Amino acid sequence: MIETTTFYFSRVLGRKVISQTGEVIGKLQDILVNVQFQKPQVVAIKIKSGNKSKIVDFNNFKILKVDRQYVFKCYGTCNILEGVMENTLYLKNNVLDRQLVDIDGRKLVRVNDLRLAMLASGTFVLAVDVGFEGLLRRLGVAKPVKLLLDIFKTTLPNKMILWDEVETVDFGHAGIKLSSPFSKLSTLHVSDLADIIEDMDAKMQTDIFASLDEEKAADVLEELETDTQIHVIESMPIEKAADVLEKMPADEVADIFDEMEEEKVEKLLSEMDSEASEDIRELLKYEDNEIGSLMTTDFISFSKNMTVEAAINELRSLKPESDTIYYLYIVDEKDRFIATVSLRDIIISQPETKLSEIMSDKSIYVTDTDNVNSITEIISKYNLLAVPVVDKDKVMRGMIIIDDIVYNLLRSSRRRI
Amino acid sequence: MDAVVKKKSIWRNIILFLAILGPGIITGSVDNDVGGITTYSVAGAEYGYNLLWTLIPAFIVLFVTQEMNARMGIVTGKGLADLIRENMGVKVTFFIFIFLLGADILNTMTEFSGVAGSMEIFHVSKYISVPLVAIGVWIMVVKGSYRIAEKIFLFFSLCLLVYIVAALMGHPDWKDIGKSMMKPEVETNFTYISMVIGVIGTTIAPWMQFYMQSAVIEKKLQIKDLKFSVLDVLVGCICTVVVAFFIIIACASTLHTNGTHINDASDAAAALEPLAGVLAAQVFAFGLFIASIFASVILPVATAFYVCEAFGFEAGIDKKWNEAPQFYWLYTAIIIISAGIILIPNVPLIQISLWSQRINGILLPVVLICMIIIVNKKEVMGNYVNKPISNIISWITIVILLALSATLVISLFQ
Repeated sequence: MIETTTFYFSRVLGRKVISQTGEVIGKLQDILVNVQFQKPQVVAIKIKSGNKSKIVDFNNFKILKVDRQYVFKCYGTCNILEGVMENTLYLKNNVLDRQLVDIDGRKLVRVNDLRLAMLASGTFVLAVDVGFEGLLRRLGVAKPVKLLLDIFKTTLPNKMILWDEVETVDFGHAGIKLSSPFSKLSTLHVSDLADIIEDMDAKMQTDIFASLDEEKAADVLEELETDTQIHVIESMPIEKAADVLEKMPADEVADIFDEMEEEKVEKLLSEMDSEASEDIRELLKYEDNEIGSLMTTDFISFSKNMTVEAAINELRSLKPESDTIYYLYIVDEKDRFIATVSLRDIIISQPETKLSEIMSDKSIYVTDTDNVNSITEIISKYNLLAVPVVDKDKVMRGMIIIDDIVYNLLRSSRRRI
Repeated sequence: MDAVVKKKSIWRNIILFLAILGPGIITGSVDNDVGGITTYSVAGAEYGYNLLWTLIPAFIVLFVTQEMNARMGIVTGKGLADLIRENMGVKVTFFIFIFLLGADILNTMTEFSGVAGSMEIFHVSKYISVPLVAIGVWIMVVKGSYRIAEKIFLFFSLCLLVYIVAALMGHPDWKDIGKSMMKPEVETNFTYISMVIGVIGTTIAPWMQFYMQSAVIEKKLQIKDLKFSVLDVLVGCICTVVVAFFIIIACASTLHTNGTHINDASDAAAALEPLAGVLAAQVFAFGLFIASIFASVILPVATAFYVCEAFGFEAGIDKKWNEAPQFYWLYTAIIIISAGIILIPNVPLIQISLWSQRINGILLPVVLICMIIIVNKKEVMGNYVNKPISNIISWITIVILLALSATLVISLFQ
C-alpha cells in the first residue's frame, strides 16, 4: 500500500471509497474543488453507493494505491455535506469533457483529463490534459498504444496546460456561483478575447458578457462579428446593454442597429443617455451607400481665433481617443467647416499662435449624402488618414477614419463572392 | 388588440418566419438523398401504392426528432456532438463517432454512385462525372462560405420538386392512391416488413440529427425564434414526405404496373424510359443528380466537422488549413475514399448501400437515446426540457425504432 502523489482524474473516477476499517462505502462519482485559490483544492468527493449518492468532506481522506488501483480511504469520520457550496466546481460535471479557455494559447480547448497532486497542504488540480494521449487514456488504450509506439521510437502527442493558464467558462444551466468568474480572461487582449468569444456557444457568450464591466464589454463588443454582437446585446438586460452601447463609438452602434429589429432598437435608444442616442439616431438616417453611414460623430473642432495654448488645454481636458486626436478641425461660429489643422503643427507652434495661422489652406472634405465609393479615391489620392464630413450647408457632421473605409471595403468584397 | 395591430403582427410573423426558414427545409431535403430515393423507388416498384401509408409514421418520427434537435441547438447553442461528448463521456462518443464515420463514408459512396448512375442516363461516363463532382464539391466547401452554400441549397430543395413532375408524367391513378393511403393492405411477410423499416429508417439517418442542430446554431437562432423554428422543421418534414410520396408514385404507376424490378434509383430512371418516355426518365435522373450533389456537399464536411468537434480538434470551413489540419484532412480523405471506390469497375453498389443501412440501423437508436437523455437534463436545457408529451412520443419512437432497427440488422446479417 503506497500513498500516491500525482494522478490523473480519469484513473480515480469510479474507484472504491473505503472506510478506516476497509469496508467499501461506495464508488467515486465526482470530485468537488474550491476554485478560489490559485490551484483548485479538493474539498469534497461525491460517492455513489447503490442508487444513492452523497457528498462527503474530503478532509479525512487519503488516496492510496492498492494492487495498482487507486482507493479513497477515509480516516476517522466522513462528514456528509449538504446544500450548494459557493466557489466550487464538480470536476466531472463541470470541467471534464467541457470547453475552457487556454489563456496562453488564446483559444477554446476541450478537457480530456485532469492532473491532480497530493501535497502536505491538500490535494490540488495542477493541469488540464487537452492532448491526444488524454483521449486514449479515457478510452483505456493509452498504455498499449504507447508500448506499440515505443517500438517505432515515437511518442504520443500530449498537451498539458497548467491550471493557472486556463479559465473555466462552460457552466450551462448548472447554477454555479463563483465570486470572481472569468477573471483570467481580463488579461487577454480585447481582439483575442473577441475571437475566443466568437467560437463559444451562445450561453457562454451571455455569461461572459454579464461578468465584464461596461468599458471592457464595449471594447470587446466592438471587435465581434455583427451577428454575435446582436446576440450579445439581445441577451443582456436592456439597461446594461444601453450602458455598454453608450461607451461605444456612435457609428459602430449605428451599424449594429441597422441589422436589428426596429422595436428593440427604439427601446435601447430611449434607454441610452440623450447625447449618445441623438448621435446614433442622426447616423441611422443615412442610407447604406451614403458616406454618412460610415462616419464617426466623434471629432474635435476649434474656432480659428483660438490660440495653440488654449487648444492644447482643451485637448488635455477632452482626453480624446487616439483615432480622433490626429486630425483636428477648424469651424466657424455656426459649426461650418473651414479647415484642417494637424496635431503636429499645434505641438511645434508657439503657445500664443492663433490656429488660423497654422491651419492648412487647402481643405478636403466630403458631403454626408455622397456615395461611399467616392471616399476611397479621395483618401488614396491625398494620402489621408481621415476626412471631414459636412452636410449641404457645410456644417461639420463627423469624420471618416481610414479604418472604417477598410472595414467597408472588406465587407463589400465579402458580399461579392 | 385592434384589427390593425393584429394584421401588422401577422405580417411581422411572416417576415420573422422567412428569416428563420432554412435549417429545417434544407435538412428535410437532404434527407431525400440517393439512399432515400433508392428506397422509395424500390418500394414503389415492388409494392405499388401499398407502402404509401408508411410515410405517415415516418413523418411523425422525423418531426419529433428534428424538433428536439432544433430546441437543443437553440437553447444550448451547442452542437449535438458537443452535447454527447459533455454529457455521455468519451467512450459513448467514441462508439458513436466511429460508427458515424463508417456509415457516412459508405453513405457518401452511395451519393457518388447516384452521380454516376444519373449522369449515365444522360450518357456521361462515371469516369468523367464522379471526379468532376468530387473536385467541384471539395472546392466549394474549402473555398466557399456557408451563407452562399445555404442559398444554393435552398435552390436545390426546390429542384427536388421535379419528382412531382416525374410522378404526374406516369399518369397515376389517384383513386387507387387514396384507397391505399386510407386502407393499406398490410402484409405480414418478412420482405414487406423490412421494406417498411427501410422507408422509415431512410427518412431519419443519424447524421441528419447532427446536421439539423448545427444548422440551427449556424443561423444564431435564439429562444424567441423557437416557435418559428418548429414551423420551419414542420415545413421541412412535409417537404421530405411530399417528395418521397411522389417518388413512390412515379415508380408505382409505371414500374409496378408493368412488373419491372429494380435495384437502385438509377435503375428506376433507366426503366422509366420505355414506360413513360425519355423526358420522364431524364427528369427522374435530374432529380437524382441534384439529390446526390446536394448530399455529397453536406455529408463529408458535416461528418468531418462532428468528429473534430467531439474530440476537441479545431474545425470549421471558416478556419484555414493550418489552423484546422485534422478537419481538412479528414474531409479530403472522406471525399477521396468515397469517390475512389465508386470509380473501381464492378464495385458492388448494392452491398455498399446495404452496409450503410445496417450501420445506420445500429447507430440511430443509440443517438436517439443520447438525445432523449440530454434533452431531459435540467442543467443542460434549463426550462426547455422535454414536456411529458414529447417524452412519451419520443420513447415510443425509440422503442419502435429499436425494434425496427434490430429486425433490420438481424435480417441483413442473416
